[in-house]
Amino acid sequence: MALMKVRELNLDIPKEAKNLAEKMLKDLENSKRPYLEAVKTSLDNSEYNAKVGYLTPGDKVVRTELNVSSVQKLARVVFMLEILLRNLDIGAVNTKRELYYICKGLIKGNSRYKPLDFEGQDESDSIIDFIGDMLEVYREELNCFANDRGGQTYSQQLVVTETLPDGEKAVVDLSTMGTTPFQPKNKPQALKLKAKKKIDFCLVVESEGTAGTLQAMGFTKRNNCILMGAQGVPSNGVRGWCKLIEDQLDVPMYFFGDLDAYTLQNIFRTLKAGSAASLIRNGDFSAPNVRFLGVLPGDVKKYDLPHYKVRESDPAEARALKKAKDALENDPFFRDKKNKDLSDILKWLIKEKIRCEQQSYFSIDPKDPIKTEKVILEKIKKGDYV
Amino acid sequence: MSKITKSSTAEYFAKNLQQVGFSSPLKAVLTTLKEAVDNSLDACEQNEILPDLEIEVVKVGNGSTKNTDLVKIVVEDNGPGIEAEDLAKVFGEYLASSKFGKGQCSRGQQGIGISAATTWAQMTNARGVQVTSKTKGMRKAITAQVDVDIKTNTGIVRNKEMIEWKKQSGVRVEFLMDGRIQLNGDGGLLTYIEGTALLNPHVTMKYRLGDMDWVTTERVSTTSPDIPEATLPHPHTFKLGEFITHSTLYGKITLAKFLKTGFSRISDQSIVDFTKNGMPKSLVEKPLTSLTEEDFKKVFQAVQATELMAPSTKSVLTVGEESLSKSINRLGEVDFFSVVTRKPTICDFKPVVVEVALARFVNRGESDTPVQLLRFANRVPLQFDKSGCAITWAIESVNWKSYGLQQPKDSLPVGPYIFAVSVVSPFIKFKNASKETIDASDELVEEIRRALMQAGQKLSRHIKSEFKAADLERKLAHIEQFGPILVEKLVALAGANDARKKKAEEGLRKILGRDSEDAASELEEAQNKLLEQKKREAKKAGLQEEDIVAIENEKAAKSPKVEKKPKK
Repeated sequence: MALMKVRELNLDIPKEAKNLAEKMLKDLENSKRPYLEAVKTSLDNSEYNAKVGYLTPGDKVVRTELNVSSVQKLARVVFMLEILLRNLDIGAVNTKRELYYICKGLIKGNSRYKPLDFEGQDESDSIIDFIGDMLEVYREELNCFANDRGGQTYSQQLVVTETLPDGEKAVVDLSTMGTTPFQPKNKPQALKLKAKKKIDFCLVVESEGTAGTLQAMGFTKRNNCILMGAQGVPSNGVRGWCKLIEDQLDVPMYFFGDLDAYTLQNIFRTLKAGSAASLIRNGDFSAPNVRFLGVLPGDVKKYDLPHYKVRESDPAEARALKKAKDALENDPFFRDKKNKDLSDILKWLIKEKIRCEQQSYFSIDPKDPIKTEKVILEKIKKGDYV
Repeated sequence: MSKITKSSTAEYFAKNLQQVGFSSPLKAVLTTLKEAVDNSLDACEQNEILPDLEIEVVKVGNGSTKNTDLVKIVVEDNGPGIEAEDLAKVFGEYLASSKFGKGQCSRGQQGIGISAATTWAQMTNARGVQVTSKTKGMRKAITAQVDVDIKTNTGIVRNKEMIEWKKQSGVRVEFLMDGRIQLNGDGGLLTYIEGTALLNPHVTMKYRLGDMDWVTTERVSTTSPDIPEATLPHPHTFKLGEFITHSTLYGKITLAKFLKTGFSRISDQSIVDFTKNGMPKSLVEKPLTSLTEEDFKKVFQAVQATELMAPSTKSVLTVGEESLSKSINRLGEVDFFSVVTRKPTICDFKPVVVEVALARFVNRGESDTPVQLLRFANRVPLQFDKSGCAITWAIESVNWKSYGLQQPKDSLPVGPYIFAVSVVSPFIKFKNASKETIDASDELVEEIRRALMQAGQKLSRHIKSEFKAADLERKLAHIEQFGPILVEKLVALAGANDARKKKAEEGLRKILGRDSEDAASELEEAQNKLLEQKKREAKKAGLQEEDIVAIENEKAAKSPKVEKKPKK
C-alpha cells in the first residue's frame, strides 16, 4: 500500500542508508573509527529569518564516533534502521511505542541481541529521532506515526477532498457534519482544500473546550470562518494542518490562548515558527502568518480581566519564567526585530509576573453567552493583535 | 494558701519514668538492658577486668497492662561484684552514684537509670529486681530482691539468701517487667548489642534475644580501656561564676598557685602569658581570699584570651582506629571500611573527641535505603529520636556525593553502609535525661562533620577504585556484546560478503582494544592510590608493608581480575 507523501523528497532513504552502512564498514575495515552525524536539534543551532518565517538548522552537527561508550548507541541505530527500512520496503507503519515492542520481540527471539534491549520507550524513541535527524527525513517518511491529537476543526464553508491510496477521492463537506469536528491526521494526507464561500479568517483556540463552546454557541454559523481547537502544544498533525490551510486558502489566521510565558513560547512559537527539536521539519510544520490575538497585556486592563500572580514557588511556573528570560536572550525567534511585539509581551510577563487565562473573557459580561465571540470579532476588526 | 509539700526524688521519677527512657513498653525493655549493661561495663573497666557478659531477654508470659508481654531481662557479668550493704543503694535509690560530676567519661553518670528500671518492674509486676552478687572477699554469693521505697527514696532488700556461685566475682540482675521485644531497627535490641560490640572491642557477649538462639560475640582486643583519669578541669571549660566558686575550694593560697594546681594545662609560662594578656602582675602572688570579684573577672578574661594546650587526651577516652577496625568485623563480613579518630578538642568549653567508622558490608543493608546510623555517646548507643541529634545533623550537612555515595538533598546518604559516630566527653550535653540525643551546638556539629569528611575521603578511594573497575568491566562487556551486532547489521545493510565482515571485526577489535587499555590504566591508578592508603593505615596499625601487599595479593587471587591486554 503506497502512502501519501508529506513532501517531495529528493532522497532515496534505502539507498542513503546503504551508503551510510557502506561507509561505516569501510572505516572499520581500515581500523578507522566510523562515525554518524546528525543535525544538532537545539536552540543554539536554530536560525530564524523573518522572510522564511520558521526556525531552520544551523551548521552544527552531533557527531557520534565509535568508542567503547558509543558502540551501544551505534549498534542500536543500525538495528533500528534495519527495522525501519524493512517497514518502508513492505509498506508497514508503526507508532514509536509499537516499534519499541517490535525491538523487544526481535531481541527476545535472538539471545545475541539481548544487550541491545531497551529499558524504556524513551531509549528507543531517541534512537528513532536520531535516525530521522541523521538522514534529515521526517519520521513520517520512515513510516513512523504519532497518534492524532488536537486540531478539531469546524466550518460551514470548508470542503476537504482527500485522495485515498487507491486513487479514490473522498469529499468531506464540514458543514454537513453537524456537531462532529473534522480531525486532521498526524499522518501525511493528500488533502485539497476548497472554500464554498469566501472564508474571512481562521481562529485557532488553545483550549479544545473553549473552541467547542464557541462552536456550540453558533460561532461558525454567524461567521464565515474556520474554527480549530489546538489542545495545548500543537501536535505535528495540527501544525501540518495549519500550514495546509495557510498555503491553500490564504486566509488570515489568529491564535487565541492564555497570556503566559508557556503559551507564548511553547504553543504559539511552535505553531508559528516550529521548534528547535524539529528543526529539519519546521518548513512543513509551521504557519508563519498566524497572529497572536490574545489574551494581550492590553486586554487585561481594558476588560479588567481576572488574573493571577505567578507563584514562583511553583516549580513549573518558575521554570517557565526562567525559560522566558532565556528565550529573550537566546531564542532567535524572539530576538528577531520582526517579532518585537511578541518579545515585548514576554518582557511584560517577566516584569509583571502575572498570568491571565483565555477563559477570563467570560468574566467580561457573565450574562452574555456570546460575549467572548463579540470580543474576538471586535479585536479582529480593529486589528488588535500582535 | 495551699500547702506546699516536698516529694522524694523517687516519687518524682516514679511519676515521670518517661523522662528517663520508660515511655513505651518497647523502650522500657531496651532502657533496662542498657542500664544494666552500662553498669556492668563501667564496673569491669574500673577494676581492669575484661568483661564477659551473659544477656538474656525473653518473653515469659503476658504483661499486666494492655498489649504488653511479661519480659525477663537478665544481665550477668564477671565484674568485681557489689558488697551486700550497697545493694539497696545501687538498685533502690535514685541519685546514688559513684560517678556523678567526677569529670570522667564513664557510661553512667547520675545514678538514675537502674533505679528507674527497678521502679518500672515494681510498678508493672509488683516486684523489683532480683540481684545476685559476689565479691572476691565473699565465700558465698548473696541473692536478694531489691525494691524502691518510693516515699523515702531508699532501697528495701527482701528475701536475702546466701547461695553457692561458681563465679569468683560478679553481679547478676534479673528483671521481670511489662514490655515488648523488638530486635531490629533503630530501637531494636540487636541494634543495641551490635553497637555495644562495635565500640567495646574488649567485651565478650553471650546473648539470647527473643526467639533467637544463644549467640556469642568474642572480644577482639584483650586490653581493658584505660580508665579516663579524673583530670583537673581545663580553664577554658569554665564560665566566670564557676571560676570564682572553684577558687573557694582552695582557701588561702596565692593566685598563681591556684591557677597551677586547680587547673590542667597551666604552667609558669602560662602565668607569664596571662599577665601579657591583661592579668594585673600585682595579683599573681596575692592570696586568693583577698581578690575582689573585679579582680577575678580580669584574671578570668586574661586566661580566656590566652592560648593554652588542648585539654589532656587522658580525660577523654577513645576506642582508637586500630580497635575500631577490628571491632567492625564483628558486625558482619566487611567489604571495606574507613575509621577516623580525631584529636581531642574543645567544643562549648568541654573536651570532646569524635570517632567515626564507615563500613560497607557484603550481606547487610540495601543499596536504595538510607545508611544504618549508629550513634554513640560515651560508648553507649543512642537509639531514639535521631532527627534531633548533633550526629545526624553533621552527617546530613556533608556532601557525600563527592565521596561517591548517593545522597538525597539534606538527608542521610543511601547505600549498604553502616555509619558509626561516637562522641566522647566527660560532660556530654544531652537533650533529655534518657540520653537519647546529643544537643546540636554549632561547634560540636562542625567537629563531627570534620571527622566524617576525613572518613569520607578515605572511603571514597575504595568507592572510586570500585567504580573504575566496574567501568572497565562495562566497557569490555560493551565491546564483546555490541561490536559483533554492529558489524553484522552493517554487513547486512551494505550487502557485503564474509571476507569484509571478518576484516571489519578485526578493525573493530583494534579500535576498541585501545579504549579498554585506557580504562585499564585508569583503574590501575585508582587501585594504586587505594593501596597507598592501605599501606599508611597498616603502618599506623603496626603491620609491615609486606603484610598488606600479601593480603592484597591474597584478595586478588580470590576475585577474578580483568586481564590487561598487552600493548601492541
